[in-house]
Amino acid sequence: MNDLNYLQRQFKEFYNENKTKIPKVNSFKQREFGFIPWDQQIRMIRHIGYSKFDQLLIELTNNGPRHVYASGSLYSKPEIQNMEHKDYLGCDFIVDIDVDHFYTPCKNEHDFWYCKECGKNGNGMVEKCPDCGKSKLKKLTWICEKCLNIAKREIMKINDFLLNDFNIDIENIRIAFSGHRGYHLKVEDADLRSLSSDERREIVDYLTGENISFEILGLREIGGNVFGLSKQTLGWSQKIISKIEEILNMPNLAIESLLSNKNVYNLSLKFIENLVNYKDQLLSTIRKDENNNWTLVSSNLNMWYKFLEAIVKEIGIKLDAPVSIDIHRLIRYPGSLHGSTGFKVQEILVDELDLFNPLDEQTEKLDPIVFLSKVQTIQKLEITEPIVPATIIKGETYGPYKIGEKIEVPHHIAIFLLCKGVAKSI
Amino acid sequence: MSNIFDIIKRYPWLPSKDKYYNRAKSNVNEEGTLNQEIEADDSFGDAADFIKEIFSSDEIDILRAKTLNIFLAAFDNIETIPEGIEDDLNIDLYIILRILLYVLDNKSISNRVANLYSKATYNQLNKENDFILDFIYKDLDYKILYEAQPTIYKKKTVKDLQEIHSTNFKISYIDYIKLASKLKDEYRKLINNALLGGYVYLRPENLNRLIQEHVRTKILSEKDRNLANIKILKEKLLKISSFKEIFDEITTLWEKKKDEFKTRLDIEFEKEKGSRKLFPPCVQEILSKAKEGRNLIHTERLYILWFLNALNYSEEEIIDVFSTLPDFDREKTTYQVKYAIKKGYIPYSCKSLKSYDLCLANQDKLKICVEGYYSKMQEEQKFISNPVQYVRVRQYRESKEEKNTKKQFQEENE
Repeated sequence: MNDLNYLQRQFKEFYNENKTKIPKVNSFKQREFGFIPWDQQIRMIRHIGYSKFDQLLIELTNNGPRHVYASGSLYSKPEIQNMEHKDYLGCDFIVDIDVDHFYTPCKNEHDFWYCKECGKNGNGMVEKCPDCGKSKLKKLTWICEKCLNIAKREIMKINDFLLNDFNIDIENIRIAFSGHRGYHLKVEDADLRSLSSDERREIVDYLTGENISFEILGLREIGGNVFGLSKQTLGWSQKIISKIEEILNMPNLAIESLLSNKNVYNLSLKFIENLVNYKDQLLSTIRKDENNNWTLVSSNLNMWYKFLEAIVKEIGIKLDAPVSIDIHRLIRYPGSLHGSTGFKVQEILVDELDLFNPLDEQTEKLDPIVFLSKVQTIQKLEITEPIVPATIIKGETYGPYKIGEKIEVPHHIAIFLLCKGVAKSI
Repeated sequence: MSNIFDIIKRYPWLPSKDKYYNRAKSNVNEEGTLNQEIEADDSFGDAADFIKEIFSSDEIDILRAKTLNIFLAAFDNIETIPEGIEDDLNIDLYIILRILLYVLDNKSISNRVANLYSKATYNQLNKENDFILDFIYKDLDYKILYEAQPTIYKKKTVKDLQEIHSTNFKISYIDYIKLASKLKDEYRKLINNALLGGYVYLRPENLNRLIQEHVRTKILSEKDRNLANIKILKEKLLKISSFKEIFDEITTLWEKKKDEFKTRLDIEFEKEKGSRKLFPPCVQEILSKAKEGRNLIHTERLYILWFLNALNYSEEEIIDVFSTLPDFDREKTTYQVKYAIKKGYIPYSCKSLKSYDLCLANQDKLKICVEGYYSKMQEEQKFISNPVQYVRVRQYRESKEEKNTKKQFQEENE
């Protein structure tokens, strides 16, 4: 409990010192706010509305909540408890990228699980215990530059989708590092706000590649020949063709290694071999775009389906679909602190994304690591979890640690480990 | 180009109708009279005055015949409106239809008429040139743009030939989604269409299919349906004897026809195939829609066909399920059912049903859809992955209950 009090004091102090830097979200008065306090008995306090921005700042500085949220939706009466009586006015379109929801190779290095049912443990990303099949797992998930870069790559796909295809005004796009394992994107556009959940699903499918029909796009088998997609077909067909061209332009060894990767393409050796052998001919067919006869590589339509499905997975944005479809979700308030890391939910402009590096950011105003003390203060902690993976922040590596280990770490690492709940102060 | 009034005569559901149509006492527009003004105290003045005036005019005999023809065609599942919908009286006819449907307050009739009328509209729209279509789309306030230079938006190979699709029209993705997502059709999913710069490129016939849906929804508009208001309006209108005559005639016709459509859905199917009550909620919902004579979207039709086929229902039994649909055509349906049976298509998986937005797992009172069932053989909780599996679980539970009841009965009697 002392550590939680300590963290709350730290959060309050941060909000006090940075009051003027907390951004005021658009349509502030029409948003619903929610907080998760440090008291673990209380899950979430929501249905709060503020008529003045100062009221939010008072809440932050007085209570230093563990997590702070605001709705993507706008309401006439956000403070009403009953959702039906809030007088819903529309909802921003939200994209949530969270590496928790998709595979990254680095998870084998820093994510651990323990089966409460049979005692089996291991590392990497699993949904169920591979031994007993039960899903009662205790998980310890970590972050590293690699997985955050993968999350960033996903959010950067908006250039192709939201800007090119949907022609969304860049001024209406708000992006933020979530303060933990991903990014949030919010589109504040009057037309998009009017869409229902069902209608939002159509956009989600477009962004992810779900429910694509290669047959409708033109892939078909006629008389033993396979005819492929055309680069003149606007939308997804063009994206797929560009990706195929990108792959075919790679060196043969790179193609073989990519397409045989079990976690991505996992194609048969025969298909890969043919693709490599006939890559120039296929490239020429695609570029000419006359009849798109792809039979030379394979006349097996199923193999092409498998190849194209893997390409679609590569191209599509790995977003958390329910967040985009749900019109009553609360999302982290920009500029607030994430209670599971102590990092700031950092707003970033689209053109700042490329260079943004949350764990080692060079531009001070974009740095989410806010507890970095100018004077090197060391704190003593004891590790309380069986294994704590290595943490690399600001170019320094801390850990890995084992249970019972007593460590001395700088202030920002201490806050991080305490927030993650893997250590206690001594 | 036809003048605007000519266009409105062909398409009286256009918003411009209220600007150009000036029948005395009849600033009746379906939005105004049937939806908004209806809430006022003496709210039905306009509709009643309109009916009074039109039913005492010289045209009433023709209008009356035309109205009845539409209802007859709708009841007989004819897919076109006799005499078309393009003559001078079409605006009055449309208003009469809307008023009649409102006071008849019968979902099955409304669905049939809405389907027929919207389909006729679609056929009519497909005969129009680009300039008229451009006027219609703009009048509806959809963001549909016409470009002088056509854009090639799709290319595919069909029988060794390149099929090139080009169009002068594009629709904003927001309007596209709002119109197309209701159709829940794979071909109309945004992902399978040509999207660029915020617009979906479509040929006029594809846009017209979306407008057909707009018209159908407009005729069915139930957003302000209020039983008390319907009653008041009905009482007022039925005092007009010539209106009462046509109202009674339609009601009598429907009573006669209704028996012909009487669905066999309620017939308990043979036990081994699983009776209707054992079907998952997604199937129940579609069957209820069919029973009410509501139109089913393409994916719903395929799903029901494949589902019943997987449960070994006969060709005739499956065709009968579709016989209540507003656009039922026995010949076409028979061909499609035969083809599906021959090909042995299997029903959509639960995952696909979710993606088509047809899954109603949360309405399953027994929670089998959400929680699955416990498999004693494999000693674990199993989840339902397809609707036929749901039926099997229900059948198993039913037979177990039956056995238990028998056992209990025997024990009590021993």
